[in-house]
Amino acid sequence: MTIATAIIQKTPIFGKMFAVDKSTGLEEINAWPALMIMASFVWLVVAGLFGFVMPATQIFDLNTDHFYTTLTLHGAALAFPFSFQLMMGVGLHRSGGCVGKGVTGWLPAMAFIAMNLGAALLTVGVLMGLKVSLVVMYPLPLVGAQMGVWSMNAVVVGFSGIYLVLACMILLYPILVIKMLFFGKKRPDLVLSERSLNDPGMLGMILSALTLLIAGTPLVIVGTTVMAALYGIIPMSMAAWATEPVVFQYAFFIFAHNLMEAMALMVMSAMYATLPLYLADGTRKLFSNKLANLALWILLLTSVTSFLHHFITLTPNQPAVLSYWGNIMSWGTGIGAAISIFTVLATIWQHGLRAEPGIMAALIGWVLYILDGASAVVTSNVAWSYQLHGTMWQSGHTMTVIVAMSIMWMGVLYHHYPVITGRKLDPVLGSWFVRLFTIGGIGAAVAMLAGGAAGMPRRFAAWNQEGWMFYGNLIVIFGLILGASFVVYMYNLMKSREISAPMGEMARA
Amino acid sequence: MLDMLFTGWGAFWMTLFMLVPFAAIFFYVVYRKSVTDSGPGTTPPATMSRIEGIWLAVVFVVFVGVNLGSLKYMPTIKAAHAATSNQPLHEVDVSATSWAFDISNRQIEAGSTVRFSGRSKDTMHGFAVYHPDGRMLFTMMLMPGLKNPTTLVHTFKEPGKYKVRCLEYCGIAHHAMQDELIIARNN
Ligand SMILES: [Cu+2]
Repeated sequence: MTIATAIIQKTPIFGKMFAVDKSTGLEEINAWPALMIMASFVWLVVAGLFGFVMPATQIFDLNTDHFYTTLTLHGAALAFPFSFQLMMGVGLHRSGGCVGKGVTGWLPAMAFIAMNLGAALLTVGVLMGLKVSLVVMYPLPLVGAQMGVWSMNAVVVGFSGIYLVLACMILLYPILVIKMLFFGKKRPDLVLSERSLNDPGMLGMILSALTLLIAGTPLVIVGTTVMAALYGIIPMSMAAWATEPVVFQYAFFIFAHNLMEAMALMVMSAMYATLPLYLADGTRKLFSNKLANLALWILLLTSVTSFLHHFITLTPNQPAVLSYWGNIMSWGTGIGAAISIFTVLATIWQHGLRAEPGIMAALIGWVLYILDGASAVVTSNVAWSYQLHGTMWQSGHTMTVIVAMSIMWMGVLYHHYPVITGRKLDPVLGSWFVRLFTIGGIGAAVAMLAGGAAGMPRRFAAWNQEGWMFYGNLIVIFGLILGASFVVYMYNLMKSREISAPMGEMARA
Repeated sequence: MLDMLFTGWGAFWMTLFMLVPFAAIFFYVVYRKSVTDSGPGTTPPATMSRIEGIWLAVVFVVFVGVNLGSLKYMPTIKAAHAATSNQPLHEVDVSATSWAFDISNRQIEAGSTVRFSGRSKDTMHGFAVYHPDGRMLFTMMLMPGLKNPTTLVHTFKEPGKYKVRCLEYCGIAHHAMQDELIIARNN
């Protein structure tokens, strides 16, 4: 038994959802991914609770400090230890089964520890007072400490946490994926569904891992310099260049933007791999692998420099030509999306669909992802950016992209779950999950976009101006429905039943 | 027409314009091919490629149309227009510190064209101006440590009280960082 399996066994409530099936000889592929997925659901509960306290502070007119605390905790928990970690777990399970290599050794352990310890430290930092939002708004952490709003200790604890989370996302996870895909010997007994690296279901994994590594490197350099200065290893004066707001902001968004694109590449790739398994005529092939790969490449090439759209309203400090470049590249990702829309729909049209809850979740999660894409390109336009930046539109976009990708992974997890646990999920509960998140997810997204269109600011503890509370109430209602869908999903995990057939055979089917 | 499109609500309707047809086709295809008849499609490959071509052409036209249309609304273009017109340009300097604005002139005559030049003295701040009817006219990002200010040219048409808000999260009193511009009737 591996350490990962043992930790799952000892974890109350959540451990039961992900208890690893030890009878199949697949523990090397199952254990660490199962632990990561389990931990991601713990963080989902944390994020969900903070997510409801956030609007409650506004509705019941509580101390505005609580709003900013929960805002920071909710966003951070949802984006990193939930969404990214869920992707990491399911993605590693997929890679292992596709190339026949175990998810073992110190790398998955380090990635798991860095993500969860990091997220826990960041939570402690925020509870110590560091209310800086999900994107830290640099230099706000240092300015707040200078103004005495929070302590320097809170900054050091919070930054240490962020640093560990980034180490997981930029270094440990991508290196692990690359190591599994390109190095080591293939073990025939671990091959579940063989794929070549040029398969659309695998190409996205590779592009995504490389994107994380490359786009994250500037932030690792800047972040390491700042951390070294915070810990007193180098004098502050030596870190002066890295603490320049403009340097930190650009390094941060080159990564943060491409993090989202990398996650999109990875989930599209998982979608391309999973959809063919649910075609009615048993074809097990996409309409066109070439088109699918073309969409991934376009997404990659256009997304790298589209981060410039984060700074359109900084003109002329960001030269107008760069803003326009960011604008065009952002809309270019739309061309990639248009091609994947065609590929997915043409595949279903030509081969029929077995509409099981897992694939339906992945597909409707993808609809939500396309909705988000539309809102994202609109706000990346040089004209609209001036009316939308800093409003609820942006929060709607961020929340929707994270929720959409997470739901797609939750759908893909349906496919992996029986292999990991030897148990299967209830289809009736599954379709309730799909119904509820379709209403909750789309409703919350549209309500937030409408709030933004009406000028409602994001990260703003006073919704009771200009009639914005109306949008606030809508967001809460749809948020509750979305929350209910996650509860149903987890209830389903808890109530999953043993599969009678020998799992080893089914896993390879 | 374009003036209406490049507003907050214009963005909202544009998003729905992209989403609704897609969602309708998606649910139609999924319903038809999973419930009504999940048998293999009989559409010939030539028809599929024609649909693909038309679809990508539509996307391309929308893509180019919107981004060409928006050029006129780019601040640089607006500033260039203001510079070449004979209208006087009123300079207003904005300096942001947590959690207040220092604005060099809060009284502006309706009809005048103003160039706002904004800086931040401590952390990231925003400078957003709201029309008296509640919609946001524009926002600017003020980043500390930059040599030059962030600038934007805007012509105020209607008199009234225009709220100013910070739209870049700047700490626990962010929501209280507000100010006002008075646009006086032109006589
Ligand atoms: Cu501010």
